[in-house]
Amino acid sequence: MTLVAESTVREAMRQRLFLLVAGTAAAFAGGALALREFNLGASEPRFLMDVGFGAQGVFGAVLAIVASAQLFFAEFERRTALIVLARPVRRREFVFGKLGGVLVLLLGFCALMTGLLVAVLWWRGAGLDRMGEGSTVLRTGPRLGDVAWCGLVGWLRLGVLAAMTMLVASYARSSLFSVVSGFLLLIIAQMQHVAREFLGWVEAPWARGAAWLVRLLIPDFRLLDLTDQVVAGEALSGGLLCATVLYALTYLGLFSVLSAFCLRHREL
Amino acid sequence: MNAIEVDRVSKVFGAGAVRPGIRALDGVTLRLRPGEVVGLLGPNGSGKSTLLKIVLGLVAPSAGECRLFGWPASRVEARAAVGYLPEAPGFDPHATGFEVVRFFARLGGGPAAGLKERVARAMARVGLAAVMHRRVGTYSHGMRQRLGWAQALVHDPKLVILDEPMTGLDPVGIAEAGRLIRELRAAGRSVLFTSHGLEQVAEVCDAVVILNGGRIVLDSRVEDLTRRAERVALIVDLLPPALLAELQRWLQARGITLHAAERSEPEWEQVFLEAVGGGGDRLTEAP
Repeated sequence: MTLVAESTVREAMRQRLFLLVAGTAAAFAGGALALREFNLGASEPRFLMDVGFGAQGVFGAVLAIVASAQLFFAEFERRTALIVLARPVRRREFVFGKLGGVLVLLLGFCALMTGLLVAVLWWRGAGLDRMGEGSTVLRTGPRLGDVAWCGLVGWLRLGVLAAMTMLVASYARSSLFSVVSGFLLLIIAQMQHVAREFLGWVEAPWARGAAWLVRLLIPDFRLLDLTDQVVAGEALSGGLLCATVLYALTYLGLFSVLSAFCLRHREL
Repeated sequence: MNAIEVDRVSKVFGAGAVRPGIRALDGVTLRLRPGEVVGLLGPNGSGKSTLLKIVLGLVAPSAGECRLFGWPASRVEARAAVGYLPEAPGFDPHATGFEVVRFFARLGGGPAAGLKERVARAMARVGLAAVMHRRVGTYSHGMRQRLGWAQALVHDPKLVILDEPMTGLDPVGIAEAGRLIRELRAAGRSVLFTSHGLEQVAEVCDAVVILNGGRIVLDSRVEDLTRRAERVALIVDLLPPALLAELQRWLQARGITLHAAERSEPEWEQVFLEAVGGGGDRLTEAP
């Protein structure tokens, strides 16, 4: 499994997927530098965090979906998956290895983006302090720590999305189908609250059943987004963090196991 | 213990409650002894690749069972000593040949010590030593096929399964592939490979199995096949039908089958050469 994960990361690096990641991060850093021209005052940290986590969410989602589908299907198109599985490698090890490689790639992306965000917030905070307009959000240490936690939860959210895409890829016959399905699942996960509201007022048993199923099977990505609390300057409690991480890990595990189950029963 | 035991294996793809599905294999039984080389032949769609995938545990049979070294093919232990080359393999074009083979060598589970040497030896064995640090994207089709051979052999497997190993190779490449198969046999390794060319198979195999429509239509030792295939062509002057019939009866009485008696096209060059006395040298000597 480790070997497959290592090979996946290497391949992603060789395909210069990481260049895309670094490019995004560099664009973000460049954007932050451009902010020096404007004086947004105390609202600047909120703006920076919105932009930073927004970029991480959008580009990270693209990376999670495309990398999961592409790196998985490339193995089948080149028939190297057949060679790997003809060795003493279990199918679940292959799936977990592929997913593990994508998770490492996403971790690198999130670490880079969050690290840059923390650095920019610290740097802009120091600059604003000198101008006498520094906000408490920027000057206090724990808040920057919360930003880092927020980045970690963002990584877990992208990991769950990658696992959902991997589940589709494990039974789909084309990379394109997996990518499109991945984006649809992302939209459904983002709109989970609609299913919750629907469940509240609908009466037809079949509709209630469908809404309940969607609510159960697909995670609510709003629960995996702590940006609003951090942007609002609220301290993240340990309980909230634990519950959020547990929620993400549950779905990550569920989709990983389902992916392995699907590939196990797939005719290669 | 046999390297491969395929026992009455059938495979139906896409069968459902309403659809009958497509029968790719129908009651196939096959044995591969240690150190034996068997060639699997058949037209496209005859079930060769499906049979190899069942042997490798990549596809589950609908009926029957398959064992490798006594283990069910679906078990991971069964594949520990197997090298596999799929048809027309492609590898990560951004990786070097060395990196590709090293990855598969590590998957094979051998000792970490001497890994580089083993990889370099496998690359040299297939004639890629000079280009092993070049990116796979720069390799020709034949070189990629050789790379496939290198990854299949790098962990010194007891059983080597090759799907169309000679497809797309030039005559030199085909001769090289034949040499590698003979080397494997000499080292006591078992080899099962598919091919379209009976001649290529007969040159390197101990036995030949021909599949058609998912069934084995011929399973024979190569020496028996050679005996059957060896024939003598007699070229005689035009025979009257009565004499031809008499000749046929005479041969039949001695257990010899007359397979063909065809009137050939006139060989005008031969007529000319006979008329001028057997050669063209005299013409050049004329003043």
